[in-house]
Amino acid sequence: MRRRTRFLAAALLLVAGPAWGQATQGSDLFANPDKGNCIACHQVPEGAGPAVRADVGPRLDSARLKGWDRARLRALLEDPQRGNPDTVMPPYGRHRLLDDREIERVIDYLHALP
Amino acid sequence: MRFPDFRPALLVVLALAGAPPALAGAESVRNDIVSGLRERFPALAPADLAAGSAAFDPLRGAEAERNKPAPGAAEAIEAGRRIWTRKFPDRRSLAGCFPNGGRRIAATYPQYDARLKRVVTLETAINQCLKTHGQALLEAGDPDTMGVVLAYLRSLSEGQKLAVRVTSAQAEQRFEEGRRLYTTRMGQQNYACASCHLQHAGRYFGDVAIPAAVGSGAQWPFLRDGRAVTLQMRIRECLERMGAAPYPAGSDELAHLEYFLTYLSNGIPIRPNAWRPR
Repeated sequence: MRRRTRFLAAALLLVAGPAWGQATQGSDLFANPDKGNCIACHQVPEGAGPAVRADVGPRLDSARLKGWDRARLRALLEDPQRGNPDTVMPPYGRHRLLDDREIERVIDYLHALP
Repeated sequence: MRFPDFRPALLVVLALAGAPPALAGAESVRNDIVSGLRERFPALAPADLAAGSAAFDPLRGAEAERNKPAPGAAEAIEAGRRIWTRKFPDRRSLAGCFPNGGRRIAATYPQYDARLKRVVTLETAINQCLKTHGQALLEAGDPDTMGVVLAYLRSLSEGQKLAVRVTSAQAEQRFEEGRRLYTTRMGQQNYACASCHLQHAGRYFGDVAIPAAVGSGAQWPFLRDGRAVTLQMRIRECLERMGAAPYPAGSDELAHLEYFLTYLSNGIPIRPNAWRPR
């Protein structure tokens, strides 16, 4: 029985580990002032990132991000001005603030938000 | 039958008709911005906005109160006074270059100089004086020289209401250039100064409430870690943060930005040498 539990735990780690790792990397990019610095404008749920009073952009959580699939988030992070010319959100892709892989990591993080 | 020649009269009428709208531009821009902020923040008078972040953030306001007078302010003012009164070899001094030894002059700067065809900031005027007397110029971006001189000079105008003038088409062009630079997106972050200080003034960027454009011309230099930081130095820091190459210290671009920003603050009393955190 104990062996079976250990096996299951190891299997879970194998499956969930990379996703968790990617989300963690994404959280670093989200908070790093030299990278995404998304935290300067957006609050996230308690425990998911640094607690700040930022309110230039909306608070991000699973409810807010409902309907934001990967393609839609990717397009937004690439160049938010395409959809909203007045936005102050930086064009992370267009201005090479984040590369394609980093954008994917940020999307992992956003999709993992509670 | 010969018709009278109306052309000279027409030219005069056109000149008169053309001039007022151009001169009204700066005031109209200022009124729009000030009234927009008043609508968004009815509890704040324009003079309150000079407190920067503290105008919007009670915690920052309390911290600023605890730091009055600003640590290092007295030392900066005294260091500036020494430079201001130091005698050149020709027995003149910076104080001698300005009316009344520099007392109560800061409120009208920057000003457009029709002879030089340039916007003259206090930094420019100080360096013009030094140049005239064969002295080494001060580095406009250096808190320990230009910063402290301005800490002293502006302390001589403390409480005076800003009264910057835009009274000619040429001056209006410089004001407009400052407005254009302020509202143009630039740098890797793709922000304009206005994105934060007009569009999102009062909101929190990280943990800091964003100061409004109005008022920024009144409360400088400020003391940060004991060093005197001028408006132009602060603008350069902002540009760096935006991922843009800052305009050179003392450049015309910074002078135009300062001209625009200070005009927006007209009527607000000068309050130099306040504390600001890092």
